[in-house]
Amino acid sequence: MTILTTAIIDGLSFALPLFIMAIGGIYSERSGVTNLAIEGLQGMGAFVGALAVTLLAGVFPAGSQAPMYLAMLFAMLGGMVYSLVHAVLCVKFRADQVISGVVINILAMALTTFLTSQINATVLGAPSNKFVLGTSNRFSIPGLSGIPVLGAVFTNLYPFELIIVAVAFIAWYVLYRTPFGMHLRACGDNPHAVDAAGVEVSLVRFRAIMISGALSGLGGICFAYSISAQFSPGIYMGYGYLAIAGLIFGNWQILPTLGACLIFGFARSGGFALTQVMGLKAAFSDLFMILPYLITLLLLVFFSKSNHPPRALGEIYDKGKR
Amino acid sequence: MAEGYIVEMRHITKRFPGIIANDDISLGIKKGEIFALLGENGAGKSTLMSMLFGMYEPNEGEIWVRGKRERIVSPSYATKLNIGMVHQHFKLVSNYTIAENIILGIEPKRRLAGLLPMVDLKSANEKTAALSERYGLEVDPTRKIEDVNVSTQQRVEILKMLYREAEILIFDEPTAVLTPQEIDFLLKIIRGLRDDGKTVILITHKLEEIKRVADRCAILNRGRLIDVLDVPTTSTQTMANLMVGRQVDFSVGKPPAHFGREVLRVDHLTVKNRTGFPVVKDTSFSIRSGEIFAIAGVSGNGQVEIADAVAGLTPAASGTMILNGKDITHAAVRERTDLGISYIPEDRQSVGLVLDFDLADNLALKTYYRSPFCEKGILNPAAFDAYGEKLIGEYDIRSGQGIRTGVRSMSGGNQQKAIVAREIELESPLMIFVQPTRGLDIGAIENIHRQILAERDKGRAILLISLELDEIMSLADTIGVIYSGELLKIAPAERLTTNEVGQFMMGVKQA
Repeated sequence: MTILTTAIIDGLSFALPLFIMAIGGIYSERSGVTNLAIEGLQGMGAFVGALAVTLLAGVFPAGSQAPMYLAMLFAMLGGMVYSLVHAVLCVKFRADQVISGVVINILAMALTTFLTSQINATVLGAPSNKFVLGTSNRFSIPGLSGIPVLGAVFTNLYPFELIIVAVAFIAWYVLYRTPFGMHLRACGDNPHAVDAAGVEVSLVRFRAIMISGALSGLGGICFAYSISAQFSPGIYMGYGYLAIAGLIFGNWQILPTLGACLIFGFARSGGFALTQVMGLKAAFSDLFMILPYLITLLLLVFFSKSNHPPRALGEIYDKGKR
Repeated sequence: MAEGYIVEMRHITKRFPGIIANDDISLGIKKGEIFALLGENGAGKSTLMSMLFGMYEPNEGEIWVRGKRERIVSPSYATKLNIGMVHQHFKLVSNYTIAENIILGIEPKRRLAGLLPMVDLKSANEKTAALSERYGLEVDPTRKIEDVNVSTQQRVEILKMLYREAEILIFDEPTAVLTPQEIDFLLKIIRGLRDDGKTVILITHKLEEIKRVADRCAILNRGRLIDVLDVPTTSTQTMANLMVGRQVDFSVGKPPAHFGREVLRVDHLTVKNRTGFPVVKDTSFSIRSGEIFAIAGVSGNGQVEIADAVAGLTPAASGTMILNGKDITHAAVRERTDLGISYIPEDRQSVGLVLDFDLADNLALKTYYRSPFCEKGILNPAAFDAYGEKLIGEYDIRSGQGIRTGVRSMSGGNQQKAIVAREIELESPLMIFVQPTRGLDIGAIENIHRQILAERDKGRAILLISLELDEIMSLADTIGVIYSGELLKIAPAERLTTNEVGQFMMGVKQA
């Protein structure tokens, strides 16, 4: 396998979980609720998913891939339930959305770290700060993977990549084609118009945040199964924030956001590839890990002007206010 | 009350903290009529109709619709009763098309491949176009709200009501934001709605419009119902007197002007908009002390940009501005304030006031950094309060909780009074008034006009920008007519007739 092929394969498997988290963020923010909680939501989702398969480890035969799909399901559930904290604080109690998001992130990190150690020590009797998951199987699509260079896109895929593509398509359809999606996007522009049309703004936003939680959880568990093969506090690498950067560069629209996430993904895998080509020590790969963030800073300089955030983003909706 | 009313309000009382907005009001509205509610700002017209539309519930009294007592608990319930309302602040989604806005909440649906539910935009566009056609509303369903003008947005709000099959249509101050031509168009639409059997309720303080379209008219003053009149048989003067509660003098009675030295000189001023297009082109004029210099013109011809450039809100692309002999072309806004410019902006809510601050803070917005408001870098709240109390008294600014009132909750007229008070108190040699009476009622307009004249007679130079030709003709000493960014004509007011000014405004006549 050439270095280029590896870079494409790794870039994709990093970009897609990022993308699905960013879509969650788009749902929340297009409904008018700032969502900085993605980092915490993905961590909590991954924790719940990992916990579920750890507890059920004995049920499945060795080598079975079923636990991974189970983990995804539980991760989405976990992320969704945890996102209720954000929804209740921001929508029901009209709390400051930025503060709520940050608090949720800190809480997730502390809570999952603590619980992982405790559960390992007491329930499983093996002191450790992580749940070992093993890595996912990978597969290549016959025929397509044989195409020169581009075939890398269809080579060594994680199953979750296909799932993410499917979920992303559904998310796109719901957001842009269904009445619910229409109400959601309207809430982010002028909630008063939605209210006047007889649609409950808080209900729409509640649902949007929950979808955001579920998709973040999915992204989190995918990272756990690909990058680290385990759940540990190491999951809080800031990928949730990167997803937010992605959706901002994508102008809160799904397709451009995919582009932004791909740029981040390839920047990261390209960085690794570069260390190899240049024959640098592994320690340097840490240096290249900052590439996505560096690119974020650069993009911020160029894209900020042409950005159009949802008009009502972050505004606390008050029916009486004109 | 007699039979045959589609809406009856019986003994309605509504209280807000510190204010009785409606005091025991009873009235009936007949099916198929245009019923006007006339009153000054703060008279309680909008509150009364907001209760009919379910935005508030009355503290006392009953609302009957089609002979049945109803508790209208929400706007959605009002919609079910076929009641619709066009608010003063439109409720539209700016990045949606007109059709998308109209169907929002009751979308026509179809199934993709017979399976997946989706919004049927094609049918939405067709229905919108058909309704628009039927009532002569002239809107293009596929255009985005952010790309169409205010008048079109208002017609979208009308279409929203019609799409929801409203039979009782409430319009809250619909003409406040429109040009004369657009007003004609709207009144025509309103007549068409009535002729189609709809009942129209028109909230307004413009007598002339009532005279033109309304069948009957209820007059409110300070929350009380004064009278219900038959419009065709009542004179405008009678209605005005009843509305204000005293004799109204329509003529300003302007004493002759005494011009002094030159205060402002603007030379070859060019202003560009954001896209780099010149909106004010090579314009020169000067204003003397004791002079009202009025710029007349159709909206959007560059008059507001001139005011903004002089006030320092927009940079000048080229040219110079001299205030009392000092070049202020590149001075910052605060420098200009300190050198002596007062500015009453067109948009009082977003430029003139900080809506979430209270009245006392808003009154000190331009002086808070000076003594006695600020001593050695520390604010002195007592000075704010004392100053606020003083201005509320002197300028008759009415509000629910005195200096602690959040200005957001104040009526438009009182918000404007607060701005005018603040700017007059600066005692600046140059005062800029942009659309000072926009959206205000007769009483408030009279009051502002008197203040402008009083300031002139104190020797201030006044730059007045207005879209109301009547206002310009009755106040100006010198008139400049702007067309497409150029001052086509500058002449003493007495040498121009309304007709001539109108022709310059349309660019028909060249100097």
